[in-house]
Amino acid sequence: MSAQATAAADPALRKALVRVENVVKYFPVGGGLFGRAVVHAVDGVSLSIQPGETLGLVGESGCGKSTLGRVIVQLLTATSGHVYFKDVDLTRVHGEKLRRTRQQIQMIFQDPYASLNPRMTVGDIVGEPLRNFRVARGREAERRVQEVMRVVGLNPNFVNRYPHEFSGGQRQRIGIARALVLNPTFIVADEPVSALDVSIQAQIVNLMEDLQDKFDLTFLFIAHDLSVVRHMSDRIAVMYLGKIVELGPSDSIRDKPLHPYTKVLESSVPVPDPDLEAARRPILLKGEIPSPVNPPSACRFHTRCPIAQKICSEVEPPLEMKENGRFAACHFPGKL
Amino acid sequence: MAIAAVPQPDLEVIAYEMPEQVTLLSDAWRRIRRNRLALVGLSIITVLFITALVSIVWTPYPVWLEAVGPTFQPPSPAHPLGLDQAGRDILSRIMGGALITAEVGVGSAIIVSLIGIPLGLVAGFYRGTVDTIISFFINIWYGIPDLLVALILVFVLSDALHLIPRGVFVIIVAFSLTRWMDVARLVRGQALALREREFVEAARMSGARDFSLLLRHIFPNALGPIIVQATFAIPAAVLFEAFLSFLGLGLPSPTPSWGAMAADGYHGMDFAPHIVLAPTIALSITLMAFNWVGDGLRDAFDPRMRR
Amino acid sequence: MTAVDGVSFEVERGEIVGIVGESGSGKTMTALSILRLVPEPGRITNGRILFEEQDVVQMTDEEIREFRGNDVAMIFQDPMTSLNPVLRIGFQVEEAMAAHRRFSRRQAAERVVPLLQRVRIPAAAQRVRDYPHQFSGGMRQRAMIAMGVSNQPSLLIADEPTTALDVTVQASIIELTRELSRELRASVILITHNMALIASLCQRVIVMYAGRIVEQGPTRAIFKNPQHPYTWSLLRSMPRIDEQTHEKLISIKGLPPDLGKLPAGCKFHPRCRFRIDRCLTEEPPLDEVDPGQLARCWVLMKNVADPEAAR
Repeated sequence: MSAQATAAADPALRKALVRVENVVKYFPVGGGLFGRAVVHAVDGVSLSIQPGETLGLVGESGCGKSTLGRVIVQLLTATSGHVYFKDVDLTRVHGEKLRRTRQQIQMIFQDPYASLNPRMTVGDIVGEPLRNFRVARGREAERRVQEVMRVVGLNPNFVNRYPHEFSGGQRQRIGIARALVLNPTFIVADEPVSALDVSIQAQIVNLMEDLQDKFDLTFLFIAHDLSVVRHMSDRIAVMYLGKIVELGPSDSIRDKPLHPYTKVLESSVPVPDPDLEAARRPILLKGEIPSPVNPPSACRFHTRCPIAQKICSEVEPPLEMKENGRFAACHFPGKL
Repeated sequence: MAIAAVPQPDLEVIAYEMPEQVTLLSDAWRRIRRNRLALVGLSIITVLFITALVSIVWTPYPVWLEAVGPTFQPPSPAHPLGLDQAGRDILSRIMGGALITAEVGVGSAIIVSLIGIPLGLVAGFYRGTVDTIISFFINIWYGIPDLLVALILVFVLSDALHLIPRGVFVIIVAFSLTRWMDVARLVRGQALALREREFVEAARMSGARDFSLLLRHIFPNALGPIIVQATFAIPAAVLFEAFLSFLGLGLPSPTPSWGAMAADGYHGMDFAPHIVLAPTIALSITLMAFNWVGDGLRDAFDPRMRR
Repeated sequence: MTAVDGVSFEVERGEIVGIVGESGSGKTMTALSILRLVPEPGRITNGRILFEEQDVVQMTDEEIREFRGNDVAMIFQDPMTSLNPVLRIGFQVEEAMAAHRRFSRRQAAERVVPLLQRVRIPAAAQRVRDYPHQFSGGMRQRAMIAMGVSNQPSLLIADEPTTALDVTVQASIIELTRELSRELRASVILITHNMALIASLCQRVIVMYAGRIVEQGPTRAIFKNPQHPYTWSLLRSMPRIDEQTHEKLISIKGLPPDLGKLPAGCKFHPRCRFRIDRCLTEEPPLDEVDPGQLARCWVLMKNVADPEAAR
C-alpha cells in the first residue's frame, strides 16, 4: 500500500464515508496549443473523511482548498484521481446518476450575497432541491421548507422575501437551510463564516455544530482561519500550493505541529490575550507564495522553509504516517 | 448589585422586524419614477399605444381612401392637422400610423428577442463548439450592411418569391433577421458571466438540470439588460419601417405609415408643409420617447446604482 | 442617519491605539473624519478634532492638504484601489513624497529604494519599476505603508490593513507596523474587527458599537476585565486557537444595528443578555468604571453574578 493510499485509508480510522485518492486538478492558463501553462491548483491529494466527523481543510490563498472542495462534490471535474463516496467512484459517474448523488452531498458556499439567486424568493431557493428531485411538492414542500427554516433559526413567515432583504448572517442561514432540506449525509462547507461579522460567525458556527449533532452530518470544513477550523474540526488537513502537507487530529496539530508550515501558520494566528501575545513572536516566512503555475521542485515549501536542507529541494517528501494517525509531508517533521 | 443573566435558548427562532417588502421590480420602478425624462417618454408611449388601439375601432375621419375635403387644406378647427394631398384627414391618418408604428416596434422587439435570447443563452452557457458556431454567425451577421440587406430581404420575400405579402409582417421579419445579433450577443455575455456565479453552482448542487438552470437562474438575472436592449430595438425598427416607406419600398399606398405620409408630403413642402411636418414630428417624438425610456430603464436596472 | 455619535478619545504620541467594532460600528467613519475624508453626502456636523492643538475640522483646504500628507498618513484595506494601476510603484512613492513638499523631486527619487527595502519588499531596486498588478497583496500593502511613512508622519491610521491578507502575511505586516511605529515615534490608530490583532499590537483599545464608544481603556484591562456586555460577549464569541476544552462559543444573538433605526435607551440592549429595565429607556453615559477604563453601561460585567451561566 503506497504512502498516498495510506492517507486515504488510514488503518487507525473506521470505514471512510468519503475517500479522495490522488486527485489532481489543473487549470489551463493563457492560449496556445502547445506548451500551454497550467495552474497546479490541486496536485495529488489523498484523504479520507469518516462518517460523523468534521474534517477541517485549512490553507492560505492559492493553496487549492476551495478547488479541492469543488472537485470532491463534482462541481469541477478532476484532471485525474478518484473521489469515492460510500465506495462509489464519483469521478466515474456522470449525467443523471451524478445529479442523483446531490441528494446526499451538499455544499455551503462562502459568499452569502452571491450564493443566492437574487430573483428567487427564500422559499423557492430553499425548496428548489425538493422540486428538482421530486421529493415533495405543493403543501408538503412548503411544510418542509418552513420546518428547515425554523431549524436554522429563520422565521418561516418570511418565505416570500427576497435575499437582498436579509442580512449576511441570515443569508448564510438560508444557504444552510437549502443544503439541509434533502437530509444529506455529507456537506462541504467552503469558508461558510469568512464573510460574516465576528458576532455572527459564532452564531453560524454554533448552528453548524448543533445541526451536526441533530442530523448526524459529516462536514468538510474549508477555511483560512485556523482558529475557527480548529474549533470546529475533529481532524485537520493543512494545504500548501496544491498539496496536503499535514493531516491529523486538530489538537495534536495545534500542540505539536509536525510540518514547518503548520508551525508557522499556528504561530502567525493572533490570540485575543495581550499577555500571551506579548510573549509570542510569529515565525516570519521569507519570500512570497510561489506561483501555482510554476511550483517549486521537490518539497514545495522549501523556498520559504526556515529549516530547509539540500534534500528538500531534490526529493519530494511523500505524505506519510509519522505517528499514530498523524501524517506529514516533510523530511524533518517536528524539527522546527 | 448582583444581577443574574437572562438565559438564552439554544436555537432561537429569530423574531425581528422586517422592513416592508421591496422587490427588485418595485425598486426599479421607484428609480424610474425619479427620472423625469423617462417618465415623459413613458407618457408619450402610453399615448401612442392608446391611440393605436383606439384607431382600430374609431378615427375622427376615414383613414384610407375617402377624401373629406379639398386637397392640401391647412389645419383648421374641423381638421386640427389639416388635409393631405388626397384630401384625407391627417390627424386620423396619424392615428392609423400610430398603430403601424406600434405593431412594427413591438413586433420587431419580440421576434428579435425570440431569436436572440435562446441563441445567446445556449452560446454563453455551453460555450465550446456550440458557442464557436453561434458566435461565428453573430460576427458574420455584423459584417453585413443591415439596412441594405433588410431592404433586399423585403424585396425578395415579397415581390420576388411572394412568400409574405407586402405589409407590416415582412418588415418585421426583415428587420429581425438583420438585427437579432444585438440581443444574442448581449445575452451571450450575460450568460457567460452568470454561469460562473455562486448561485448557479448552488443550483447545480440542488440538482437542477441544465434547462432549469437556464430558465430559472440565468435568464431571470439577464432580464434587465434584455429589456433595455429590446426597448432600444423598437425605435430602430420604427425608423427602419419609416425609412423604407419613405422610399416607397415599405408599406404600399394608401397605408397610413408615417414614413409614407412624409413621402407624400415631401413634394408639397413649399406650399403645404403641414403634410410632411405632422408625421415627421410624430416619428421624432416617438423615437425620442423610446430612447428616454430605454435610458431610464438602463439606469434603473443598474445594480450599482441601487440605494 | 448618524454614523458616529459623540465619540471622544485621545491618542498620545507614540501610542498604538486600536478601534474595534463590526459593520455599522462607525469605526471607519471615525478614522475618515480625522482626515476629513468623509464621503459625500456625509459630513462632520459637530465636534472638534485636535491635532497638536489645531482643530482639523476648522482647517482650510490648504492646511488640510498639508496635514494629510505630512502629519497623518492613512492605509486602507484594499491597496489596489489606492494605487494607480497605470503608474509604476516607484513613481507613486516618489510622488507621495514630493507632493507634500517635504522633499524635492531629486531627494524623493533617492529615498525610494531604501524606503521600499525598509518595508521589506524583496529586490526593491528592481521592483521599483513594477506596476501594482505585478505585486502580491502583501507587497502592495507594504508599498502603501512605504508611501504612508515616507513623509515621516506623527500619526498613522490603518483601516483594516490586513483583512484581505493571508495570516502569515498579516503577521509580517503587523510586525512591520510595530517596528515603524517605534522607529518613527509615530502614533498608530489601528481599525479592525479582529480583537486578536488588537491584543497583539495595541496598548489601548476603543470598542465601538452603533456609532458610539461603548468601552475604552488599556488593552490588558479590557481583555482581562471587560465591563461592557458587548466587549465581554465579543471576546467569548471568538474561537481561540489555544483553547484546551471544546466549549460552545457564546454568540451574540440578533443582528448588527441598523443605523437608521436605532432603539431607544442603550443601543446594544436588544442583543444584551444582561439588560435591566433602565437599559430600554435611558442611554448610559460613558463613565469611568476602573482607573483608566471607561464603559457605557448601566449594569457592568463586574456586577453580574455568574455571567457564564448564560451559556
